Amino acid sequence: MASGYDRALSVFSPDGHVFQVEYALEAVKRGTCAVGVKGSDIVVLGCEKRSAMKLQDTRITPSKISLVDTHVCLAFAGLNADARILVDKARIEAQSHRLTVEDPVTVEYITKHIAGVQQRYTQSGGVRPFGISTLVVGFDPGTKVPRLYQTEPSGIYSAWKANAIGRSSKTVREFLERNHKDDLSRPDTIELAIKSLLEVVQTGAKNIEIAIMAPGKEVEMLAGEEIEKIVEKINSDKDAEANTRRAGRGGGGTAQGGEQVLASRPAGEGGAE
Amino acid sequence: MSRRYDSRTTIFSPEGRLYQVEYALEAISHAGTALGILATDGIVLAAERKVTSKLLEQDTSAEKLYILNDNMICAVAGMTADANILINYARTQAQRYLLTYNNDIPCEQLVRRLCDLKQGYTQHGGLRPFGVSFIYAGFDNQRQFQLYQSNPSGNYGGWKATSVGANNASAQSLLKQDYNEECSLKEACELAVKVLSKTMDSTKLSSEKIEFATVGRTKSGTVYHHLWAAEEIDALLKEHGLAKKDSEGVEESWKPGESV
Amino acid sequence: MRGATILKANEDKTRQLNKHTLMAYVGEAGDTIQFAEYIQANIQLYSMRNSTDLTPSETSSFVRTELARSLRSRSPYTVNLLLGGFDPRTSKPELYWIDYLASCAPVPYAAHGYAQYYCLSILDKHHHPDISLEQGMKILRMCTDELKRRLPIDFKGVVVKVVDGEGIREVEYEDGGQVLAP
Repeated sequence: MASGYDRALSVFSPDGHVFQVEYALEAVKRGTCAVGVKGSDIVVLGCEKRSAMKLQDTRITPSKISLVDTHVCLAFAGLNADARILVDKARIEAQSHRLTVEDPVTVEYITKHIAGVQQRYTQSGGVRPFGISTLVVGFDPGTKVPRLYQTEPSGIYSAWKANAIGRSSKTVREFLERNHKDDLSRPDTIELAIKSLLEVVQTGAKNIEIAIMAPGKEVEMLAGEEIEKIVEKINSDKDAEANTRRAGRGGGGTAQGGEQVLASRPAGEGGAE
Repeated sequence: MSRRYDSRTTIFSPEGRLYQVEYALEAISHAGTALGILATDGIVLAAERKVTSKLLEQDTSAEKLYILNDNMICAVAGMTADANILINYARTQAQRYLLTYNNDIPCEQLVRRLCDLKQGYTQHGGLRPFGVSFIYAGFDNQRQFQLYQSNPSGNYGGWKATSVGANNASAQSLLKQDYNEECSLKEACELAVKVLSKTMDSTKLSSEKIEFATVGRTKSGTVYHHLWAAEEIDALLKEHGLAKKDSEGVEESWKPGESV
Repeated sequence: MRGATILKANEDKTRQLNKHTLMAYVGEAGDTIQFAEYIQANIQLYSMRNSTDLTPSETSSFVRTELARSLRSRSPYTVNLLLGGFDPRTSKPELYWIDYLASCAPVPYAAHGYAQYYCLSILDKHHHPDISLEQGMKILRMCTDELKRRLPIDFKGVVVKVVDGEGIREVEYEDGGQVLAP
């Protein structure tokens, strides 16, 4: 169909597509899911974690969540090795920024830098684009406003209240669209992040990784038992809800109706073109 | 069918896959098996060498196992020529770190530096990725004994026991079955030869067909690594009743350019 | 005291490299900060990349390598350094003396600059390998008293920082009192 125009690295096809970039997005969709959720005073990153095989050394297996600087955290979906390289570039920029202007980077600045690197790899000779999307979260130095950005292989970046990337990200994003409210409290934000991941993660807490960022604090990786507890709570809430719904069929109708109106909204792919 | 996305440099296919990398993995799955087992007091690496000829010098031509620095060794599976480039790079990096920080490079960092180079060849760099998988065995003060595996894509992970190369699926399931986390280095060596004896084509093993290496600590606590001599391998095989009875001729002949 | 200009006296000539390592510097005015911050950025980059900190001895070696490289460049840094750190792995404090010629030595006590000619003899006499922080502060007091008495330029006091297992902290250091000849 698009003969030739998707073989050479990153050139336009006659109908205006850069196929390599679009295919890179497919690589992202094959990656495990990651979500980011902003609350009123924290921001949470959640990741689907492949369960370790029996012979794997659990001390070492690299995480999908990495720190770019003490106040900026990043999660990715896509090719692991590509991510390592991109994260390293971001870390260098973060320190280099501190050295040259004596201030830590803002979250938007570092996002823009990451996106810029990704863009360069869609346009330079002899290279393929990065096969990853990233979620960048954190707090600008001295502020209490949570930030959440997304970058894509094309080099597009955008700010979000909550978003998902990777496998089944569409389903998760739709779930977030239905359930995200402004001014979520700390426990609600964490719960929403986990709840949205459970849309795609069937195996529960052991395959979920959660990182929490709060202003002026180091990143906090939520312990396995705590995630377990929240998952249990979500499940029991769900059961309770199902029971009440069964009890009063007619009454539940309005709430459900309201949900469906929201669900039929376009998913907002984040401008994949 | 998928010829269009697999002939030239590493680019994405419409499904977002990198065929060149997948083909490199395919090449490795024909190479001689290599495996590594983590024990409480050390690590053993063992590998099947496919290049066997009576005329080959025994002690000077290691094919599968290499020393990277004072506390790390590795086993390779895939194209030996590619491996040589990467091993050379790893050795340089290890010494550069030692020069800068006056301390041996932590194992994961050396693995990561090598994998970053591998990743580069899947994104720019050359016409094809490196066709080698590695198993690394090493020691550092942060995490004691460690075993890693990396592949042409530039991914790596830590393992308690792992294998690469031909028959690696069956080797892996044998390891899964019989591996014991509390095992000693001696028991790990035993497991290694047992797995190799079951996954290799020939029924009887000999020092000509396998290479063996261990990382451990001496009584005083210093780290050592040791590439085994032919006699030591034969002794181990004899101990576990896996040795060849008499010195039969080598049956397979080696073709130049073959993956080992 | 009688000149038209007064130099800034409260400059903090130290940089924290990571949680347990502090570097003090003296030397050419521009070079010192430029070099110290360059080192600081690189040590922090190492921490971010590897999610572990360099030990003081590794840090000292890195600083030395950078100075050695700079020494052989067209415009070398003229910076002398003291590197104090606490190694959490061995739970031991360490001190390194580094000069602009890229010498580096682990030492029990050290001084740079003109003040060293007054202080080192005191340190030689009073330092013991197993002294406590309190005793160390006493020796430091003897040093600053000596500087007040004898330094040809007006001595404006010192900034004192302590590096231990808890990290790095600045401590109050009273130097108002008049010092009399012994």
